[in-house]
Amino acid sequence: MAIETAVVLAAGEGTRLRPLTRNRPKPMLPAATKPILEHVFDQLLEAGIERLVVVVGYGRNRVQSHFGPTYRNTPITYVTQESQLGTGHALLTAESAVDGSFLAINGDQIADDSIVRDVLETHGDGSKAMPNDGPAATLALLRRPADGEYGGAHVDDGRVTELEESPGDDRSYHLNAGIYACEPAVFDAVREATSETGEHSLIDGLSRLVSSDDLVRGVVTEGTWVDATYPWDLLDVSFALCDAGMLEADPPAGDRSAATIHDRAVVREPAVIDRDCVIGPGAVVGPYVCLGENATVGSNAVLERSVVDADTTVADNATVVDCVTGTGVTIGAGSTVPGGPGDVRVGDRVFEDESLGALLADRVTDHGGVAYVPGTIVGPDTELRTGATVRGTVPERTEVWP
Amino acid sequence: MCGIVGYTGARADRSVREVLLTGLSNLEYRGYDSAGVAIANGSLAVRKREGELPELKAAMEGGAEPVPDDGLAGIGHTRWSTHGPPSDANAHPHTDCGGRVAVVHNGIIENYRDLRESLAERGHEFESDTDTEVIPHLIEGALGQGDEFEAAFRRAVDRIEGSYAVAAVHADRETVHATRYRSPLVLGLDDDGYFLASDVPAFLEYTDRVVYLEDGQFASIRPSGAEITDERGSLVDVSVETIDWEPEDAGKSGYDHYMLKEIHDQPRAIRRCLRGRLRELDGAVEIDELGGLDRPKRVHFVACGTSYHASLYGARRFRERGIPSTAFLASEYDVGKIPIEEGTVVIGVTQSGETADTLTALREANSAGATTVTVSNVVGSSASREADHVLYIRAGPEISVAATKTFASQQVALTLLASAITGACDRDTLEALRSLPDHVQSVLDQSRAREIAAEYADAEMDAYFFIGRGYAAPVALEGALKLKEISYAHAEGFPAGELKHGPLALVTERTPVFAVVTGDSRAETMRGNINEVASRGAPVVAVTDSPEPLAADVDHVVPIPETDPRLAPILANVQLQLVAYWIARELGRSIDKPRNLAKSVTVQ
Repeated sequence: MAIETAVVLAAGEGTRLRPLTRNRPKPMLPAATKPILEHVFDQLLEAGIERLVVVVGYGRNRVQSHFGPTYRNTPITYVTQESQLGTGHALLTAESAVDGSFLAINGDQIADDSIVRDVLETHGDGSKAMPNDGPAATLALLRRPADGEYGGAHVDDGRVTELEESPGDDRSYHLNAGIYACEPAVFDAVREATSETGEHSLIDGLSRLVSSDDLVRGVVTEGTWVDATYPWDLLDVSFALCDAGMLEADPPAGDRSAATIHDRAVVREPAVIDRDCVIGPGAVVGPYVCLGENATVGSNAVLERSVVDADTTVADNATVVDCVTGTGVTIGAGSTVPGGPGDVRVGDRVFEDESLGALLADRVTDHGGVAYVPGTIVGPDTELRTGATVRGTVPERTEVWP
Repeated sequence: MCGIVGYTGARADRSVREVLLTGLSNLEYRGYDSAGVAIANGSLAVRKREGELPELKAAMEGGAEPVPDDGLAGIGHTRWSTHGPPSDANAHPHTDCGGRVAVVHNGIIENYRDLRESLAERGHEFESDTDTEVIPHLIEGALGQGDEFEAAFRRAVDRIEGSYAVAAVHADRETVHATRYRSPLVLGLDDDGYFLASDVPAFLEYTDRVVYLEDGQFASIRPSGAEITDERGSLVDVSVETIDWEPEDAGKSGYDHYMLKEIHDQPRAIRRCLRGRLRELDGAVEIDELGGLDRPKRVHFVACGTSYHASLYGARRFRERGIPSTAFLASEYDVGKIPIEEGTVVIGVTQSGETADTLTALREANSAGATTVTVSNVVGSSASREADHVLYIRAGPEISVAATKTFASQQVALTLLASAITGACDRDTLEALRSLPDHVQSVLDQSRAREIAAEYADAEMDAYFFIGRGYAAPVALEGALKLKEISYAHAEGFPAGELKHGPLALVTERTPVFAVVTGDSRAETMRGNINEVASRGAPVVAVTDSPEPLAADVDHVVPIPETDPRLAPILANVQLQLVAYWIARELGRSIDKPRNLAKSVTVQ
């Protein structure tokens, strides 16, 4: 029996994407105009998955309300991970909802369906007469450097010989794409791999299998695989999906026929314009602009290389370049987000020369004529008064006066 | 009000028993104090139980004689008591003396006492207190006189007066006969099976092709086909409609209760209500389906319960545009005494489109010559066919008995209606409407209702009061209704100005007061009202778009985003819904299916 069930891990906040994750987990942040998780589901269904088990936790209402009980006629079972005690713990939460072999996948990274298919095919038929000759798990490996951000693996003749959570040495690893075909034995291995803090790591669990006699296969594959580590990565992730033609799913992301675009507005491709959007006369939208549901672009506004989430307004005469917004943001009339490069501060780190004009979290309201210094991050529910100049990191629920 | 189902089909992988149980479980929102089925298979297997479906399921599967899997045809019923208390005997289906005919019925038979008396005189024995039981005995009588089953069914239906959707099976037949008069009945068509039900969700997972029966039409379904005939038995041409919502719209999707799911569904529901109706670039609201409806001289709203509260709000939105408008409780609407003049538009607001009181009021308004409009959530419902015009609120199926998202969608729909009917809509209003889904989402993201509920969910409380002024007054009424429906606590809502004219006498430290203070509600005057109750020791929770000035006067401030003051009450209501939900949860109530209540009330 082929694997039909996918366990999708979508319980973590994704703290490096703050402040965009104030109201929702990373899998619900927009890639183009749809949540990342929706793209993950699309690719899984393309690859033949027939049942989705979604582990939810942080911001779970947002996941459940968005998808409801099914996605494109595929039933979804939600299981709640009450406290975030690691990826392995998340997987164990789903154990009772799974019967037999299954696919485990991160809900916050988008891999095209060919990668998923390769894992499923390499893993093969889980229910063999001789239970010991099939792999206990099979994972997808990419020929890209695992540069510390991602897990890595060494593989010898299709057999994984070493798994690292975040490789720190000079050897060259394959990148672990976070897609695993699993036999139920993986649950036991993860259960046994408990850290001192009571957390369960999926990688530690799989490593136990690698170091025991169980076969863990690795399939080296290629295909579109994108992940947003930091908020500005949402721009590149979205544009990569545009370029890879991965927005043609059913239903199409950005159904332009359901938007209102004034005859005298100009749309430069590629641009994704979701339903209920309104674009006023003289506006110039694109190239590389993604407008979420019910977004508004005012008269003569100029918008380029930006991901604008649902219900956001870019008012008349505003200029917005290299910008990421959350939902319900207002960029006021005549405001200017001039585009990167700029230095961006995240926590204690400063990232120099990132192509980020500004990052505006959910429901930031700018009252017009605001100037954004490249690299600015504004926290949710903050108000920027007319004529203000903002730079650096502006905390949530504050007011900035000129 | 109750729900009925019927099925006959030839598919080996789908038993009559399974289809009936699925149908009943999807209709439980219509009633759930008892349930039963009858399956014909040479003999008649009848099982019925007081209580919810699991009781019935156990009765069918266990015991000395489990109900066989391979029936020919069957009917089922989920009941909400009107005649006789919930009990095994009063549960449907009801049978004749010989146990060969079984009947399920939704509605009320007004002349059942006379019928029962005359049947009893002829030796028929009755086992229940219900009005329904006369029908199988009438059929039995007609069969005894040599009628075929179908003719006997028609003759029995001829004798009854009142409202009904009724379905019958006979031990030896593979046919289900059914008819309706002023109670809903819909036929579902599949390649290998035919379904009858009070409402579409009963069989939506099997088929999406349906025919809505009209009053007085008869349906006969057998595995080989279905036919619809009129009162005289002539075939009727019917149109088959395709339902465009998915069965999965009716799942809990990870929430503990439908009510909580539906509260969180509000941003999407409001989006659907607004979609394609706002013309931002033209500065107008347009509602395609209302073509030909002119600006009215006067508007009467007729509605019940939560829909009545939405109507109070709607009437205000019409008055603000200069149209004299009044909301009436449908059960109190009496066209003989309420003048309908030329240019009067009567708007019936009903979620299900089957609410008997509202239907009656609409019918009377129609016959008095008014132009009628139905505002409903259910396409093809009786009310939507009764009125001259229909405006759908597009909230999607609502399963929880306590209405939540449909109230928000009704308020939005009535706001759109008032704008569409009176011409232009200013840009600020359009923008505020377009922002509403996100504003509701922000309330849901940030609500502290759960903590507040935990503080006040206490059996020691005497009552809960809800006050508001202006556009917020209907929301105060609705907040109280929600709380009493699902928590069983005593709750009252009233316009804040009425406090000192009576209710203040009840206010103590054991009566928490929820005050809705929004932009239009004359915040200063509301502050006076808040001080009136606070000085008598009542805990006060203010739901408001301007928290700062109130913070010192109240125990808790529950904030909502700033928006058009006329839309702010819709946001305040979301907070009150969450408070009601969490109080009921703290008190361990059943929430989705409160005692004594059912979703759509199809009896007067």
